Amino acid sequence: MPDRSTATRPGLAPAVLAPVALALAAAALVWVAPEMLDTFSVNVLTRSLLYAALAVTVDLLWGFTGILTFGQAAFFGAGAYATAIVLTHLGSSPAWVLAALALSVLVPMALGALVGWLSFHHGSTPLYASVISLVFPIVVTQLVYSGGEWTGSSSGLVGYDTLPLDLPGFFRLAGIFAVLVALGAWVFVRSDAGKLLVAVRDNDARCSYLGISPTRVSALLTVALAGVAGLTGFLFAQASGVVAPENTGFLFGTELVIWVALGGRGTVLGPVLGAVAIDYAGATLSGDLPFLWQLILGSAFVVVIILLPDGLAGAIRRGWTRVNARRDAAAPAVVALPAAGAAAGGAEPLLVVTGLGKRYGSLSVLDGIDLAVRPGELVSLVGPNGAGKTTLMRCLSDGTEPYQGSVQVAGRNTRGMTPERIVALGLGRKFQVASVFDSLSVADCLRLARAARDRPSPLGAAATLRLPAASLDILRLTGLDTALVTPVRLLSHGQRQALELAMVVALEPKLILLDEPTAGLTKAERTTIGTILRRLTADLGCAAVLVEHDLDFVREISTRVVVLHGGRLVLDGTVAEVVDSDLVRAVYAGAAHA
Amino acid sequence: MLILLDVVTTAAILFIVSAGLLAIFGVLKIINFAHGAWLTVGAYCAVVAARLGLNPWAALPLAFAVGAALGTVAEWLIIRPLYRRPLDAILATWGLGIVIGQLITLAFGRDVQITPNLLGGTVALFGLDYSLYRLFAVLAAVLIGGSCAALLEGTRLGLKARAVIMNEALARALGIDTARVRLATFAIGAGLSALAGVLLTPLTSVDPNMGVAWLIGAFMLVMVAGGSFAALAVACLVFGAVQVLVSTFVSPILGSISVAVLAAVVLRISPRGFARA
Amino acid sequence: MSKSMLLSSALLIALAAPSAHAAGAGPITIGVPVGLSGANSVVAPSVVQAAELAVDEINAHGGVLGRMLALDVADDASGAAGAQKAFDSLVYGKKVDVLISMETSAARNAALPIVSKGKVPYIYTSFYEGHSCNRNLFVDAWVPEQQVPPIVDDFIKDKGAKTFFLIGSDYAFGRGMLSFAKSYIEKSGGKVVGEEYLPMDGSDWTSVISKLKTAHPDAVITSTAGGAPNVTLTKQMRAAGVALPYANLAVDEGTAKSMGADATGIFLSASYVTGIDTAANKAFLAAMAKKFGADEKTPNDLSVPEYEAVYLYKAAVEKAGSTDSAKVLEALPTVSFDGPRGTIRMDKQHHAPLTMYLGQVQGDGSVKVASTFKDVDPGAQCPNLK
Repeated sequence: MPDRSTATRPGLAPAVLAPVALALAAAALVWVAPEMLDTFSVNVLTRSLLYAALAVTVDLLWGFTGILTFGQAAFFGAGAYATAIVLTHLGSSPAWVLAALALSVLVPMALGALVGWLSFHHGSTPLYASVISLVFPIVVTQLVYSGGEWTGSSSGLVGYDTLPLDLPGFFRLAGIFAVLVALGAWVFVRSDAGKLLVAVRDNDARCSYLGISPTRVSALLTVALAGVAGLTGFLFAQASGVVAPENTGFLFGTELVIWVALGGRGTVLGPVLGAVAIDYAGATLSGDLPFLWQLILGSAFVVVIILLPDGLAGAIRRGWTRVNARRDAAAPAVVALPAAGAAAGGAEPLLVVTGLGKRYGSLSVLDGIDLAVRPGELVSLVGPNGAGKTTLMRCLSDGTEPYQGSVQVAGRNTRGMTPERIVALGLGRKFQVASVFDSLSVADCLRLARAARDRPSPLGAAATLRLPAASLDILRLTGLDTALVTPVRLLSHGQRQALELAMVVALEPKLILLDEPTAGLTKAERTTIGTILRRLTADLGCAAVLVEHDLDFVREISTRVVVLHGGRLVLDGTVAEVVDSDLVRAVYAGAAHA
Repeated sequence: MLILLDVVTTAAILFIVSAGLLAIFGVLKIINFAHGAWLTVGAYCAVVAARLGLNPWAALPLAFAVGAALGTVAEWLIIRPLYRRPLDAILATWGLGIVIGQLITLAFGRDVQITPNLLGGTVALFGLDYSLYRLFAVLAAVLIGGSCAALLEGTRLGLKARAVIMNEALARALGIDTARVRLATFAIGAGLSALAGVLLTPLTSVDPNMGVAWLIGAFMLVMVAGGSFAALAVACLVFGAVQVLVSTFVSPILGSISVAVLAAVVLRISPRGFARA
Repeated sequence: MSKSMLLSSALLIALAAPSAHAAGAGPITIGVPVGLSGANSVVAPSVVQAAELAVDEINAHGGVLGRMLALDVADDASGAAGAQKAFDSLVYGKKVDVLISMETSAARNAALPIVSKGKVPYIYTSFYEGHSCNRNLFVDAWVPEQQVPPIVDDFIKDKGAKTFFLIGSDYAFGRGMLSFAKSYIEKSGGKVVGEEYLPMDGSDWTSVISKLKTAHPDAVITSTAGGAPNVTLTKQMRAAGVALPYANLAVDEGTAKSMGADATGIFLSASYVTGIDTAANKAFLAAMAKKFGADEKTPNDLSVPEYEAVYLYKAAVEKAGSTDSAKVLEALPTVSFDGPRGTIRMDKQHHAPLTMYLGQVQGDGSVKVASTFKDVDPGAQCPNLK
């Protein structure tokens, strides 16, 4: 994409400037603070600020991406221990300090890759990822205990040479680091690439079917943030002059989550303020009321989780938006992409299904399905409820489903392929219930649909939105083109269906699977969708497979109709042959809703 | 032979500790991270029973009643609003665990409490002197597992609970008061956890943090077992065996984390754990 | 509980005893960071009481260089992170003149950089695994070189033990004690037939105990983390019918008493037991009972060194003629104090020779002194310090 940078640059200014200005102010504050605070506060806040940076990484994982993690403590500890071990056992010359710095980032990243691999795979659940994040610090802590002289066991490591800074120096270092991490997080979550995190949290299935691997996003994020946590650990080891097993432990991991929850998950500032305020208050108060402080903190945590799921910052933000109507970002200018080269017509089928069968235990749902779909064809799949239509669609689009027989998309056997890999072969799938991203805007959803082709900027929001003409048509015909900044959760049922279709079309698929795209739509909306589907197949040479109950609609738009009944393909022919056949009449005779 | 006895008794103890957590997870699909706190509450019921001069065995019904009563309150105040947010339920129950732990500390102090033994001494078995109490733990595990199975299979509540496990929406459509089923299940699960706390007292000290040590192991076993008591029994036997064998032949330190690590690996390979049968 | 919380919360004890010298000079503040919460929370109140008694007594006799002593207690949560907060607060916030405390090794290590930067003398009053060295650090409690030999000698000579089994918690103290015990046993002609560890929070000793029974040793020595793991191991060993000569390096009189029947017969080695038959100890016990009455926490091997350390600091300040850190640090190894444990002088590489007592827990929970070992040397703890 040679024109990528020019496309994104105009959008950078407003998106980045405000946070940068705020960050500069915060950095200035951090710089002068040691002059005004007493030594005690300087020392405690140095640690609190590092914890704040760590809390931001927890928030990116949990608040934004929906991965509840207790594991950041272990990455932090691994970075701190890598530093302390190098400085204690190997040396503290500048070269070794640099080595410690590098290791404190690389070791946690390697561990992060392991955790990412364990936690995120096709079919893994959020609960499972949390389980791993729980086991991981326990194992790391145990390794530290068993490390003998090397790790100092329960006593930790102490007495190594640290950077030649005084207390205010370390305070400024920690403060600037925390500001940088928060700034980076803030810019990233507001950028186009940052929307990926929310997309994974909202709807990971939709991500897969946009060709974005949610497991890859989660794993990469885990690796990157493990590195940040490790770097925080390096600074902690330098500033405190000691590392101990409790810095790596699962309990510290839960503390981080508590700070983020109270401060406000899904906001950047909330966790920073939560970590600093609670850690500082804890240092000041726990001496006087050790048990009571824990009791208050625990109670507050329970109340916030139940009543204020997005924490104090979230509550304030909601109150703020209620009072001041939200000043929305300007809608991006929509740019039509040149139409892709007309598909090589006719010859090779895009979809070949041979002997497909699927069983649930002793129940046979699909049996011996043979089907080929060529470019330009619009094949309707009809049959009564329970005929196996949706199951067939799933087998076509997800190679990890166990089935017999074979499915080829664009000439490739898809067995074992995850949806995102099949999407990369040129498949698009629209679900029966519109599958979109509720927390994002219309424009964000569409941009994510392009993310696999036009790599989104991690720095800002692009000023333009490049979409294929067919996708634009859908927006224009349904009026969505004037609602680009509208949050998706405010859309009507019909608009959501249209948005999902526009997203699927934005993938520029060669083969589109649609599951009842007209269910619950008005007559006018149905006509619109029919028009678009015909244009896609007849003019652009796509192939489409459509599950449909509405036989009038089928008759209007299909080039071919196949009938699925009792898991078998019982008819395959032209519209006239099939729709008027006795069999279809018999099958649908009792189906009142058809 | 000694190893075999160790395996069976270790599995029994794991089963006793996990049963309450499993009952709740099976029906509610919620992880009760305050499970450790309920174990602790149960153990302190034994302390209170001893202070009141009651027979040590009287602590068992007392703990079940106290645990179930607390469970009822917790379900009502904390669990019910979070049914649709299972990850948040983990956090809220963890917070609840902190609160209960601190309240116990304020009431009883940090000190390690000692309770009278339920059963002491050893018996000669297969030519070995083996701890009588550990053998009793096997009986207790069988009784707990048996009564849970009987409850599920043979009562109206059990029938409703199974309906909720299979398909909650359908169960509600059939006129089952699913909220009450959940409440009853949580109360029974909490009661079982507290009961397990009493059964642990002869093996451990009693202090405000005692439950946390058992929480992670129980949690991992329940994850692997899914929702079924039979699968839990199998998981306890397999993991108990691994723990004992690793402890005996490699190192007790590795043995102590083997349950957690092995469970994580099992779930990576087979996300539904032992519950696929 | 509320009473002891009151006692243990940070409070200033400044007796209104206006003396001619004290005019203008504020009190000398002693920082006491202890684990009011966490693993040490059981024993910490007794340590605070001991410090309070020492301060009261000294103030009643006119203080130090005419200035009163004041205590400032802070909770270190028995761990590194809590210790950093507590030491920050005491050293930089409250600007104490000296730190005197019993803490976990993790807490002590976490505190050392702060103590070095803040240039404050630090008297550590807890027994520990040894070899912690810092210019500002002095220790008046025992190390393995002092505690283990009485037990091993007794087991080998009196009980005829030849084979030993060692069990510990996997942490610095557990490993440190047992590794010294192992080398000392082998040096004394005994044999170690097994050495097993469980993580600090481990609660299931099944396989360890089975290994112990299979190994058929003549004696068993344990060194777990204090409190819960110690009780758990003892309970499970007794339930499994282990009746060997059993030395517990981590048990104190109070815990032994509360463990009831399970503790009977355990051997322990300590620099202090309440039964020490000296006038100084009897006077100390009487003063404790008088001051705290029903709230008194039984004095023990962790609280008595705290009491004596306050007096050692007093002696050092008086010898130095000021509370200036450098001068006090110079004076500390040269002064001594005759306390409940005898004469204490921290002149061996910042550590102190101590009289050790081998005791056995009786059926009623009391500890009977079996033999006494005079002035056991701590060995070469910090050869790099003078």
